[in-house]
Amino acid sequence: MSVSFAVEVIGLTKTFTSGWFRKRKKEALRDVDLSVPEGAFWGLLGPNGAGKTTLLSIISNLLIPEQGEVRVLGKDLRKNAMEVSGRINLSSGHANFLWSLNVRENLEYYAMLYGLSGKRRRQRVEDLLHLFDLSDFARVRFDELSTGTKQKLSLAKSLVNDPELLLLDEPTVGLDPDVAHRIREAIQRLHREKGTTILMTTHNMKEAESLCEQVGFIKDGKIKALGKPKDLKNELRLGDTIMIAFSGALHAESLQSLKGIYALQTSDSSCQILVDDHHERLPQILDFFIGEKVFIHDLRIKESDLEDVFMAITR
Amino acid sequence: MSSWRLQDEMTKTRAFVFKNWIMTKRNVFTLFEILFWPLVAFLSVGLLTEFAALQPEMKAFILVGVISMSAVQVCQLDVAYVLLYDVWSKAVKHGFAAPVGIRHLLFGSLIVGIFRGGTVFVLLVTASYFLFGFDFTLPGALPMVLFVMGLFLSAAMVGVFVCILVLVFGNRAEVAAWSLVSLMLLLCGVYYPVSILPTWVRGLAEIIPLTYFLEYFRLFYGFTPLSSHVLAKGYWMVTVYLLVEVFAMKAALQRAKRTGLLLKLSE
Repeated sequence: MSVSFAVEVIGLTKTFTSGWFRKRKKEALRDVDLSVPEGAFWGLLGPNGAGKTTLLSIISNLLIPEQGEVRVLGKDLRKNAMEVSGRINLSSGHANFLWSLNVRENLEYYAMLYGLSGKRRRQRVEDLLHLFDLSDFARVRFDELSTGTKQKLSLAKSLVNDPELLLLDEPTVGLDPDVAHRIREAIQRLHREKGTTILMTTHNMKEAESLCEQVGFIKDGKIKALGKPKDLKNELRLGDTIMIAFSGALHAESLQSLKGIYALQTSDSSCQILVDDHHERLPQILDFFIGEKVFIHDLRIKESDLEDVFMAITR
Repeated sequence: MSSWRLQDEMTKTRAFVFKNWIMTKRNVFTLFEILFWPLVAFLSVGLLTEFAALQPEMKAFILVGVISMSAVQVCQLDVAYVLLYDVWSKAVKHGFAAPVGIRHLLFGSLIVGIFRGGTVFVLLVTASYFLFGFDFTLPGALPMVLFVMGLFLSAAMVGVFVCILVLVFGNRAEVAAWSLVSLMLLLCGVYYPVSILPTWVRGLAEIIPLTYFLEYFRLFYGFTPLSSHVLAKGYWMVTVYLLVEVFAMKAALQRAKRTGLLLKLSE
């Protein structure tokens, strides 16, 4: 069965040039390939200046690359920019909208830009105000809103045209934990209920791990790794760490020869065992300790997370 | 054009009318733009004509100039504001991420510009009649309509030019929204005939459509125009300029997307 892609990026290169006379060049993306299947929820991670926002901006037709091909929803972006723009939308962290317009007016304005008129527009705006708990702020001007409410408005705006592809650029950056949590829930609900394809950039590894089916790590304008969080951990042999405090004589060499153990560090009374998957390996390790008649005082497990993947890739 | 397509076009154009109208309503400086500055300019120039005891035709010459200039200034500001409001709000990228064209921006903002510029025009024409006894309606309805349309097209031309400058040079070019019209004041013969200008400056005046529209209207007050068919020349010129500007603005937008300026204007 062939897979339809919501985003197909091939050989994308983007360089920024600054200065009128003495030109300075900065390569933001270098020969990037990316294919996001329809209905997927993918995340892009990477350090500041890695090229995440640049990639999203190119996909949303706000930047033009020097080289490469971009197909969005099956259409060549360069040739069908207007059509594609009407089927996708973008929300970014630290969002700004027209300061003198209130929440409802801002949504009305953007709904009109996407061609919604009359009763359909009014209904859509009402639905979005309700969906994002913005009804109480409908008549509040944008410049009087809190950061969290501005962010909710940004998300609401990004749904005015009921997009098939939603691009989220750090949607929870700078928000209080509870507001960020509610925003995440809203995004998750949207993906679950409508099947909207979502491509999101974030600095928050936990957010990426909880929301995204696949993540890509960008560094220096290149995608360094791409896959499911668990696969990436395995690929990089990050595994999980089992920390055991014990008494008795431990034969480290025999322990290390067990299946699925990447590394072992031991001292007289404790050891740290790096395993591929603690769920699978813990029973055999416990059996080993029992067999060796080594008494366990304490046992702790530290699962590797995307932060470890991030550190391993960006090191 | 199908009815669906027509409605889509009208809705997107209406978006810019909506934006400019609300921003105008909510900001006190826009009230100054249509009431305070035009009235101050008009009254001071009008009183000067009284003090100088000018002949009626000379007074007409100057009052036509000052009224036209105020209407053009206010109308062109609205066209420029369609982009500048986004720049000041740092919301440029959201507007351009939507499926809208330059035509929607231009027509939408021009509608508000015509309304605001038209308000200034009517206000000053009425004031000139009651305060200085000057009858602006003397040339008749058709010449007046043709003249005022020429003024608003000239204003659109200036406003689009400001937008192009902002898309090329960033927000430091916003100063053009106020300074370009002042330059036209110098060149187009607002307070004096262009015939008194040095030859090379006159050459500049002759490539600005507003010069011809002013010459056309002053014809009815007994002034000989610079050349024949001034109205046709004015319209021909302003149409060509506007068409060129629409393409130039598209090119400037593409350039801003290549250089990243479009995103910088949103930060």
